[in-house]
Amino acid sequence: MIQHREPTPIGRVVATELKPATPHQFHFWTANETTIGIGAIVKVEGPRVGDQGPGRIVFGVVTDGFAYSDLATPLHDVVGAEGDPAKAAESPTVRQEIRLWTAAVLRQHPEEPLQPVPLGAVYVASDADVAQALRMDAYVAGAQPTGIPVGLYTAAGLEAPVYLDADFLLGPEAAHLNISGVSGLATKTSAVEFLLASIFQHFPAHKGRIAALCFNVKGPDLCFLDRPGPLDDADRRRYERLGLTPQPFARVRYYAPCKADGVNLNTLRTHPDLVGDVEPLVWGLAEVLDFAEVLLNRDDIDAKADAFIDFLSDRVLNKEFDDGFGGSHRVQSFADLDGLFRAIFDGLELSGRSDMWRTHHIATIRKVRNRLSNISTRCKGLVTDDGPSNDLPWGRFEDRTVYVVDVANVDPLGQDLVFARAVSKLREHLERRDLGVEAVVVFVDELNKYAPGDGPETYVRKMLLDISERGRYLGLVLFGAEQFRSQVHRRVVGNAGTTLFGRMDADELATPGYHVLSPAIKIKLATLPIGELMLRHPHFTQPIFVRFPRPAVLRGRDGVERFPPSADLPFEEAVVRQLVRLDRRIRPNQVKDLIAERRPDDVRRALAAVRRTRPDDALACFRRMLGVRVAPAAAPAREAVPPLNPISEEPY
Amino acid sequence: MAGSWVDAILAAGAVPASYVPDASAGRTDLEEFTGADLVEDAELRTRSVADARPLSPGAVGFLDGIEQWRVVGYGGVTPIVRGYVAAAVRRRGPDRRLRTGSELSRELAVTRLASLAAPVRRALETCGVDVVEFAAEDAGQPARAIQAARRELERARLALERALAERCLAGLGPDEWLVVDGVLSDSVALSAHPRAVGVIKSHGAQYFEGAELERALTLPAGHRTSVFEPRSRGARRAIYSWYLRFWPWEGNDLLYGLVRVEARAHPDTLARASALSAWLERERSPLSTPDARWDRLLYPIHDVETYLRSRAPRDLLSPPGSRLPRTGS
Repeated sequence: MIQHREPTPIGRVVATELKPATPHQFHFWTANETTIGIGAIVKVEGPRVGDQGPGRIVFGVVTDGFAYSDLATPLHDVVGAEGDPAKAAESPTVRQEIRLWTAAVLRQHPEEPLQPVPLGAVYVASDADVAQALRMDAYVAGAQPTGIPVGLYTAAGLEAPVYLDADFLLGPEAAHLNISGVSGLATKTSAVEFLLASIFQHFPAHKGRIAALCFNVKGPDLCFLDRPGPLDDADRRRYERLGLTPQPFARVRYYAPCKADGVNLNTLRTHPDLVGDVEPLVWGLAEVLDFAEVLLNRDDIDAKADAFIDFLSDRVLNKEFDDGFGGSHRVQSFADLDGLFRAIFDGLELSGRSDMWRTHHIATIRKVRNRLSNISTRCKGLVTDDGPSNDLPWGRFEDRTVYVVDVANVDPLGQDLVFARAVSKLREHLERRDLGVEAVVVFVDELNKYAPGDGPETYVRKMLLDISERGRYLGLVLFGAEQFRSQVHRRVVGNAGTTLFGRMDADELATPGYHVLSPAIKIKLATLPIGELMLRHPHFTQPIFVRFPRPAVLRGRDGVERFPPSADLPFEEAVVRQLVRLDRRIRPNQVKDLIAERRPDDVRRALAAVRRTRPDDALACFRRMLGVRVAPAAAPAREAVPPLNPISEEPY
Repeated sequence: MAGSWVDAILAAGAVPASYVPDASAGRTDLEEFTGADLVEDAELRTRSVADARPLSPGAVGFLDGIEQWRVVGYGGVTPIVRGYVAAAVRRRGPDRRLRTGSELSRELAVTRLASLAAPVRRALETCGVDVVEFAAEDAGQPARAIQAARRELERARLALERALAERCLAGLGPDEWLVVDGVLSDSVALSAHPRAVGVIKSHGAQYFEGAELERALTLPAGHRTSVFEPRSRGARRAIYSWYLRFWPWEGNDLLYGLVRVEARAHPDTLARASALSAWLERERSPLSTPDARWDRLLYPIHDVETYLRSRAPRDLLSPPGSRLPRTGS
């Protein structure tokens, strides 16, 4: 807590013809031993004007610092020390020095008329001053406060909480958050974890319910959000100062595709104590075909392929379909579709008719077949050739719940598919207001990869652009992270109302996007310690440095040490484990006897069916399903996902 | 205060003026042969201070003063000068940083009251400013009057410095010295104090002739002369003195880097003249540039001047623009 103390000036504004005070910038000097530094917030009190009460008050943030002595030229120091640096330090008198600081104006009071900063005394900003300087007084207090703690501003031995405005972080006024920083410091992930916890604890009740969907794209980063992590006293004090309870997320739902064997989960959260919480993410043909565009690269995008995929979706999928060669097909899985393709090729070959089938050229059919079979091969485990799917709980999202989709070990094509489908489904449900929550934060790391500033136009990039530009109206909020902000599509980063910067690479700081920052700010950014961030927010007229406590969850690296992933289980054991998770009464030997000499595909299908139906007697259901061919769930009638606009430079 | 009395005399009929004469030449030394008695050697010798162990006092006060002035009006042809004199002691402790110990300042009007018209005179007498008058014989020709005013101001500054020095001596710690920019012999207290030393940069007074003069003025760098006692002149008290060269003069000027040191007329001074000299030689670093007198000006004294000038009234400085008549109205 900042103690009340008699304000003692720590500096004084100075202005010369060459360095004048302006309405946006001023200079002040302090004692050499001052505690303030780059990023400190200060208050200037102008002299009283007659009996009109206190003078103008200006808040500013220190953006640059200078030190110099009265030495006329360096040569004079050499002469004075007779060329011996050791003697220079022995001079009986220390030269007069100055600590001169440049500060950018955050706020003036009164705000009109806007005038140059008065040549007044400079004070360290108190808690209340920081709130005023950052205009937080408008949204932290009041009948319906919307402040979300983001960290502590620390300077000159003082700490003050800094809040983001939920209306500008999560919509509808502005939305989205972007965080940049070098890899390997765990700052970006930690910051997002901390901020999500803060949002869950402080999201205003009048704004409804909120959930988060996090894509784990590398390592075990987000695999232990429900486990408490170590905190030290400083962290706990910061939590208390921010009005937050340091605790792991109470409700986390994990989803991960299976491995190629269809029974072991493709995630690092496979420790026996934890794997029970992980739901398999398995999609079938219907789920994939909706987003077939994701699978097509730039060269593939043509009207013919599009038309054929549309044809398959509209006329073939889940319908009785006559192939024109006497065969009838009901396509519900990749296996069924491949059967249809084979029938078409055989039919055309045997009939010798032509290269056209129902106005589609055989080359187009082969290309589409190739792409679709490619995904079922490359993403085996996520995409099932046959059998039912297992998806996120669309329509049943719960308040203050984190949904983690672990795609870290999935083929990039599969990752694209997961992003595209999950986000499109979110959009679809949020538009219909039937997701279960009013707002969803989508956390995507590695934006350099998924929304690059250059390179081919991809469906994922279009989708991220779409969220960036229109998501705030829906409650679909993108939290994106990347190493090099300059290499992310400028409209993705430009639409982020709130921006965080961790430690930055010097080369990145040399790019044009950072020219607005002073050299001192850049140096500070290049050397930021873990746990400190530079923050831009619509209410703050200048970037602010904040410290945040370690998230109260187990870090990925620590998690895999404490809960080492178990080795892949043999097929039988993996099936047993999954069934036992559904029904603890099941004895392993019962399952092993049941699946002995059964085909693995049959077992997988039966297991998926049990998982989907979640019967009271899982073993009986499993036994029953083993005997029949399990059809994929009939695809529910769904509204088509509105097409995304093609990428253009025009955002409107 | 300044504005009020200047406004008052202008309102009383004085013609406004704004003229800052050339900067003060600083404290003047006597410009005559006075002679000296050697107290260290039979004849004036030069001694290296390289091997002497420098005195290293725990704390040192450095005293200097400034004067600034401006002709603010004329009563007939008699100038009315607004003057400002100030002195300060900046103290250096173990952290080697200089901090202000004490300071005095005074604002005064310098003129010849009898030469002014009655309303102007009355305005000056009643507005509360200290009025110092120059002699009646200087009141005629303005150029002479201005020089007389400058001398009065210098006297006022010296008096202020003396008063401050004597006040400072009273509070001087047992291991604390006072270094004065100028002579000690003007003050009884200063000239008798065991830990006061004066450093004189101007060399108007001549104490030797012939070979001894040449030896004194061609002193090599890092050397001092024998200690001598200047012969008494007027009110000046007995003092011991010697020359000390900070920087080689060859290639520059005979007086380049040459100072004269004054200390108490006492056998102890004789015993530690070399230690004192070695200490003062150390004080040449850091250089007091960009002051033109840096070769003789100790940095702490330069610092006192800088401090005093930063606190002096800004309207006494020369205006940066030209003195061409103002156009328009």
